[in-house]
Amino acid sequence: MANRNIELPQGTLDLLILRTLAAGPQHGWAISERVQEISSDVLRIQQGSLYPALHRLERRGWVKPRWGTSENNRRAKFYELTRSGRRQLELEKSLWRKLTTAVAQILDTI
Amino acid sequence: MAETDHSRRTDSGHNIAGATPMKFISDLSFRIRALFQRQAAETDLDDELRSHLEHEVDKRVRAGAPSDAAIRDARAAFGGVERIKEETRESRGLNFIENLAQDIRYGLRMMVKTPSFTAVAVLTLALGIGANTAVFSLVNGVVLRPLPLPEPDRMVAMTGGEYTKGPFSFIRAQSRTMDVAAYADEAEFNWTGIDRPLRIAGASVSANYFSALGVAPEVGRTFQQGEDQPGADRVVILSHALWDHRFGRATNVIGNRILLEGVSREIIGVMPAGFRFPSTKAELWVPLHLDPKDIGDYWYSSYMPVIARLRPGTTIGQAQAELAALRKPMLAQFPYPLPADSWQKASLTSLQERIVGDEREKLLILLGAVGLLLLIACANVANLLLVRAATRQKEVAVRTALGAGRWRIMRQLITESVMLSVLGGTIGMGVAIYGLPALKSLLPADTPRLADVTVDGRVLLFVALLMVATGIVFGAAPAFGASKVDLTNSLKAGGQRGVAGGNHRLSKSLVVGEVAISVVLVIGAGLLVKSLWLLSNVDPGFRCETILTARITPDETFCEVAGRCQMFYSDLLGRIRALPGVTEVAAVNELPLGGGGEVLPVDIEAHPTRPGAHNHLLLEKLVTTDYLSTMGIPILKGRGLNELDTSAHSQWVVLVSKSTAELFWPGIDPVGQRIKVKFQDQWRTVVGVVGDVRESTMAVPLESYLEGVIYVAYGQQAVQGSGTEAPPAEMTLVMRTSQENSQIGAELTGIVAGVSHDVPVTHVEPLQGRIVESVAGPRSTALLFSFFSALALALGAVGIYGVISYSVEQRTREIGIRMALGARPGTIMRLIVGQGAKLAVGGVLVGVVSALALTRLMAGLLYGVGATDSLTFFGVELLLFLVAIAASYIPARRAMRVDPMTALRTE
Repeated sequence: MANRNIELPQGTLDLLILRTLAAGPQHGWAISERVQEISSDVLRIQQGSLYPALHRLERRGWVKPRWGTSENNRRAKFYELTRSGRRQLELEKSLWRKLTTAVAQILDTI
Repeated sequence: MAETDHSRRTDSGHNIAGATPMKFISDLSFRIRALFQRQAAETDLDDELRSHLEHEVDKRVRAGAPSDAAIRDARAAFGGVERIKEETRESRGLNFIENLAQDIRYGLRMMVKTPSFTAVAVLTLALGIGANTAVFSLVNGVVLRPLPLPEPDRMVAMTGGEYTKGPFSFIRAQSRTMDVAAYADEAEFNWTGIDRPLRIAGASVSANYFSALGVAPEVGRTFQQGEDQPGADRVVILSHALWDHRFGRATNVIGNRILLEGVSREIIGVMPAGFRFPSTKAELWVPLHLDPKDIGDYWYSSYMPVIARLRPGTTIGQAQAELAALRKPMLAQFPYPLPADSWQKASLTSLQERIVGDEREKLLILLGAVGLLLLIACANVANLLLVRAATRQKEVAVRTALGAGRWRIMRQLITESVMLSVLGGTIGMGVAIYGLPALKSLLPADTPRLADVTVDGRVLLFVALLMVATGIVFGAAPAFGASKVDLTNSLKAGGQRGVAGGNHRLSKSLVVGEVAISVVLVIGAGLLVKSLWLLSNVDPGFRCETILTARITPDETFCEVAGRCQMFYSDLLGRIRALPGVTEVAAVNELPLGGGGEVLPVDIEAHPTRPGAHNHLLLEKLVTTDYLSTMGIPILKGRGLNELDTSAHSQWVVLVSKSTAELFWPGIDPVGQRIKVKFQDQWRTVVGVVGDVRESTMAVPLESYLEGVIYVAYGQQAVQGSGTEAPPAEMTLVMRTSQENSQIGAELTGIVAGVSHDVPVTHVEPLQGRIVESVAGPRSTALLFSFFSALALALGAVGIYGVISYSVEQRTREIGIRMALGARPGTIMRLIVGQGAKLAVGGVLVGVVSALALTRLMAGLLYGVGATDSLTFFGVELLLFLVAIAASYIPARRAMRVDPMTALRTE
């Protein structure tokens, strides 16, 4: 299956991460696995953008890191959604819906 | 919707301040914490990434891969660790500072590891930046700093001719746009009635002088309106310094009276320390004596600079229009009309510009010279960096392979360059600040605003910018080249010095540029030195060897008693003539080379004036009869002055200078022609023609508004003059002594006191000094310029040497082969020196073309030599060529000694 990965549109990475974390605290590797799995392998997050994004979200105060033990019994840094992170997720979600609806309308109409 | 906009923007990770203040603060505190917990954060990131990798490996192992393959594949899938770390740090927002700190630490290690490179680079830059600091301090203090006055930009000065008292008073009374003030330049006053008569420099100023300048006194008051009118003018204001050392800062000095020029004046005020207008020498101020009854003085002879403060709401343009409109009514006031075009070119300029005058051009040219010097320094250091870049290729390649971006590497290299220039610049600035007093003492003492030359915030800012800019200028090209690496080649063991070829071309262009700049500077210096030489060897028209001069200054009122001054001077000259060691002695109203003397409006018999002009303006030298012979001024025609000319009822006679005679009586015998001073009745007969003397400066024989020079016997004037025609009291003695460094000067005060008390003797100095002083300006310019050019030449030579020796090093193998194939040492020598010569020819060509364009800018500083003087150009070309050959000779000798066997074995 050639070209099964598509590039993440600008700004959607944060949304995906926040959404993944809404289900509960998670560490970096698991986040990227989860996104890949749920999107049926269509979306794949590069490590090169995952970690900068996580640290950016941390700086904004939307996620909070905590070291813990993973399902593999390994040490891992878990990220947890903060209250303002949850608000941000709602905001981003509604914006995303508006955007996709608008784009779909245009595509269907013209 | 605004809120969403914010979120959107912050989301893209660029706008932090766009969020609410709270968020901004928490963001900032995060960044600051991150900065201080850098080590912890770094370990944390390492752990996090390792954890990710472990999970990835686990997954692959679970899927059945052997563990070593799993590790390898996981790593491959992960990508460049360094790059991820880098970008993560970036998103944490502390990257820039952290990188900078890292770059600086690394840069310091590099500097320490290559001490000789660092030393050469830092010293070169110290030289360049130091020279710029010093000269910029001068430019800043003299040209840029605003005058220390309130609203200095409202102060203007009149140009296009000074004004006498009459026209000044008229303009002051009529002007609606300006508060117009005047001051008499360089006045000196006798202060008598104290134990020993003192001669104090001061200024006569109009009553509104201080209020126009906007300066308040420290103690007491300044002049009031009307205090420059006869009868009301017996007041004086002291400088802070005079108040300090003569009165110990006693405040009760106000109301005291002192005797100045025989006039008792009441001290009414003291000016604050630091107030030094119109000159730094001024120690007291008295009001101008504006007396319309003294027609000659009021209307014709007392030319003064005029300044003004623009009244609120008026522009310089309005003031200028008003000044032009007032010109005709002003000329109508003159009792004897002046030429209709008088003050036609009168205009206004800012006071600052007027004070700075010609210094601006001179200083800006010097600044240009040190700017070019800095460029040469930059080229040299850039060359050093290029050579070093070749040796650092491997290091750069390793860093690139580890994921460092090109921009990151360039930033590292440029940080290193800026560090070099900051270090060099700091040293240079230190030396410049330390040496600033010495530099100031190199300039002529009468350079305006020298006291304002200090290292202030603007100088420091300039140097800071210069250091950074310098670092970027010389660092950019080498960094750009060095960051572009061919990974495969560079990392191979024993890899070739791949990029050397390309960089070497750049080095060569840099050297050509350096040589070109050196050529420009050395040609500039050559032209200035040649000017100075020509100027110093101008025949001043008199023989100054073994002549001692002294200023004798009885009070102004001394001569009002008819015949008293003649008696005084003939008695004094007689006593001095009797001294052993004095061969001749005479007196003159003003010495040559200062533009001094009485300016007289005259009629010349049978010689019409220029159309529209009503009289000729001549410079009158009042001399005692032995003046011409004492000074060695030759009598070319007719006779000189003698004792008979000073006796009562003798014929009124006058001598003219050679060029005056040629101007008024071309082809006619001047002897027997007649001249009359405008407001006197007697015609004077020309009885002789004498040699021309440089009256104004060594470069300018006579100011352009003057048409000639006449000599009048002092005795004659003293006997027959009366009232307004009283002879001047102040004269300068010229004494020809039998040997150099005569000690007569020491006895002089006693001798003068023996003739009359309360007559100060000042300025006892050899006449030779006057010539030296007259060329002090050109000499300091030539000296400084030559110094900077010599540095430029030295740096240029170092540049050539560096490039040629590097090329010899590179070509060792080739030279070895050539020698093995039978090339003689001479051939090798020619090969290497030829390479240097080629660079020199290129540089000289570019330099000469640039110099042809650039030396025009300094035409105003040159004397007797054109801006494209071919001898200077040729000499400099030859010099640069020889220097280039000498600089390549040393590496060429090294090349000649190459042992073919060793050379072939290298690498």
